[in-house]
Amino acid sequence: MERRSFLKGFGAAAACAIAIPQVVSAADEKKNGGPNEMSYETAVSAITGGKALVASAKVKMEAPEIAENGAVVPVKITVDSPMSEKDYVKAIHVLASKNGNVRCANIYLTPANGEAYFGTRIKLGGTQDVVAIAEMSDGTFLSTKQNVKVTIGGCG
Amino acid sequence: MDLSRRDFFHIAAALGLGVPSLASAGSAAKRIDEVGLKDIYGFNARGNVTLLHICDMHAHLKPLYWREPSTLISAPNLTGTPGFLCGESFLKHYGMKGKTLDAYFDTFMNFDALAHKFGKMGGISHMKTLINHIKKERGADNVLLLDSGDTWQGTGVALKTGGEAIVKAQNYLGVDVMVGHWEFTYGKKRVKELIEMLNAKFIAQNVIGDDSFADDFEESIFEPYTIMERGGAKIGIIGQAFPFTSTANPKEFTQGWSFGLRLDTLQTYVDKLRKEEKVDCVVVLSHDGFSVDQEVARQVKGIDFILSGHTHDPSPQPTVINGTVIVIAGSHGKYIGRLDIDIQNHKVKGYEYKLIPVASNLIPADPEGEKLVKELYSPYDSELSEVLGITKNTLYKRDTFHSTFDQLINDSIIDTMDSDISFTPGYRWGTTVLEGDSITMDHVYDMTAITYPNVYTFELTGMHIRTLLEDIADNVFNANPLYQQGGDMSRLGGVTYEIRIGAPSGKRITNIMVGGKPLSDTKVYKVSSWGGNLQNAGSNLKEQLTRPVYDVTSAYIRRQKNVNISGNSNVKIMDYDCGCPKKGARGC
Repeated sequence: MERRSFLKGFGAAAACAIAIPQVVSAADEKKNGGPNEMSYETAVSAITGGKALVASAKVKMEAPEIAENGAVVPVKITVDSPMSEKDYVKAIHVLASKNGNVRCANIYLTPANGEAYFGTRIKLGGTQDVVAIAEMSDGTFLSTKQNVKVTIGGCG
Repeated sequence: MDLSRRDFFHIAAALGLGVPSLASAGSAAKRIDEVGLKDIYGFNARGNVTLLHICDMHAHLKPLYWREPSTLISAPNLTGTPGFLCGESFLKHYGMKGKTLDAYFDTFMNFDALAHKFGKMGGISHMKTLINHIKKERGADNVLLLDSGDTWQGTGVALKTGGEAIVKAQNYLGVDVMVGHWEFTYGKKRVKELIEMLNAKFIAQNVIGDDSFADDFEESIFEPYTIMERGGAKIGIIGQAFPFTSTANPKEFTQGWSFGLRLDTLQTYVDKLRKEEKVDCVVVLSHDGFSVDQEVARQVKGIDFILSGHTHDPSPQPTVINGTVIVIAGSHGKYIGRLDIDIQNHKVKGYEYKLIPVASNLIPADPEGEKLVKELYSPYDSELSEVLGITKNTLYKRDTFHSTFDQLINDSIIDTMDSDISFTPGYRWGTTVLEGDSITMDHVYDMTAITYPNVYTFELTGMHIRTLLEDIADNVFNANPLYQQGGDMSRLGGVTYEIRIGAPSGKRITNIMVGGKPLSDTKVYKVSSWGGNLQNAGSNLKEQLTRPVYDVTSAYIRRQKNVNISGNSNVKIMDYDCGCPKKGARGC
């Protein structure tokens, strides 16, 4: 491996490690009350405590329009935030609106993270909206969504 | 050759051949002045740079007949717009007249009659004559030849040489830059070998390593862009491979490479070319498809020209969206798009475009090209030239739901496999055989030459079949072009159905009949398919029946000798009254 590409790979991995201090996987949450039984609406209100989601361009999601493989769909979320003591992103939540288990990941951040960025791969049972919610330090909940198509393919 | 004088001068003027080289000198030139065709068909040369554009040749080194679609329907918001125009609606949109050479190339209308009049289309030795002419006119240093891909696959000679024959043809034509889609179905290793043999650059900004154990993880697999100097200008060319290669074709060929539209990085490269590389003109060489590229022009800022491909549309005039000029040059080597650009003070000041038909009876063949084609075909001539049978009616590929050559393949499969249902792919490449003509083995390969040719026979429940049809329909008819994959609907044998194209996803298809009886959700059906991955959704795969589709089809035609396929579609469209509707209308 060339040094440049090695360093680049290492850099990417390191960035992820900094941005993800605590990842609660959906599977872990099962024993704490069963998000599997939640509808999308219930899951959202469990996060927001009933507050409304505000669609915002500050939350950016990078996901494919058509999944190459529905079992591992890469999703990256960046929230535009100074990440200062006064104004930071407390958490990023990722939901798959029509999965059996709609909650994919909850990532908790502090200003020490420096950057509100999270990337992972999620499993999608079918074509649906993937929703990202940013829980802000001022108590608001910003969100964005993208439709990801899961198909057996065919034409060409 | 039954050519009218007007047709003849049309070509002569299009080529700017200076008529004496084709006809007897003197009086001929006068006739051009008389009819004024030079003004109508001649190229109004402009500026300092010429981009010659080809796309979707599908490995056709020799001239062929290629009939454009008689049905081309999409979601209601797209039908009747560029990318979804055919027949009368095509002629009206572009302000063209019927029964001309252009109408013969661009539409299905009067195809057989005009085919006898104008002859075959394309062929590398004819393309080369045209390219040479333009290079001579403009100066070779001011011309680039750009290829939007789907070049290495589509004929017997391509398959049998693992794409090598076609790379030799590209080197002969002088291709400077290319992008890919079907190219990838030769597999990663072979793709790299072919790129080594290729004199052109192979670029793609949207193919990224996604194997976290590989050296190229998260890196571009190919050079994302290239910069070429022509006519004193710096031209930045960004590559866009087919974004859905890994869903439309088997994943195994590109394992570890991730595709996708990647419009965010496309924007980054456009900005980088302008700000850091200080190019004078930004070109995207694309295999996204015509309607997708119109959406790209809406979302990505700062592209001067998109040279599109994938959807095989001939577009006689450019489509301009947000200042980005989009062109696409048909398919099968039928056309060369000529784009003259005037670049001054590091900016595009203007352009002139013409989609030039490669009429092989009129454009003389370059002898060097004839020699090359002969060489490349000679090892396979005896197999490929075998006459398998005669067709009563025109055999063609294209149309949204049904075409006659596909029906012949479906008939072959059902007859051979004794299955209830067959699925064949809605690709847009293939060939046309005129009524009364011989069907050769080469024709069968033209329709089926892929690296995963097997016909699989397996079982699916009625419920599965219904779900699959809806899934495929949503890939073809989604109202958002970014969620389409740019092909036509899979062709079904043994089945009839009704469709409402504008209905919501999952609710388009009704009244499915199998063998004349309503589809039962719980019944298990014997299904055969090739060219897709439906077998992965099925169960009880009958491995002993698995055979390449070109063997199944050629054996069937040999048994039949006389082929008689009706043009009647097995699909009833409920929300449109004709095959080529006008924008916003049910009818034509």
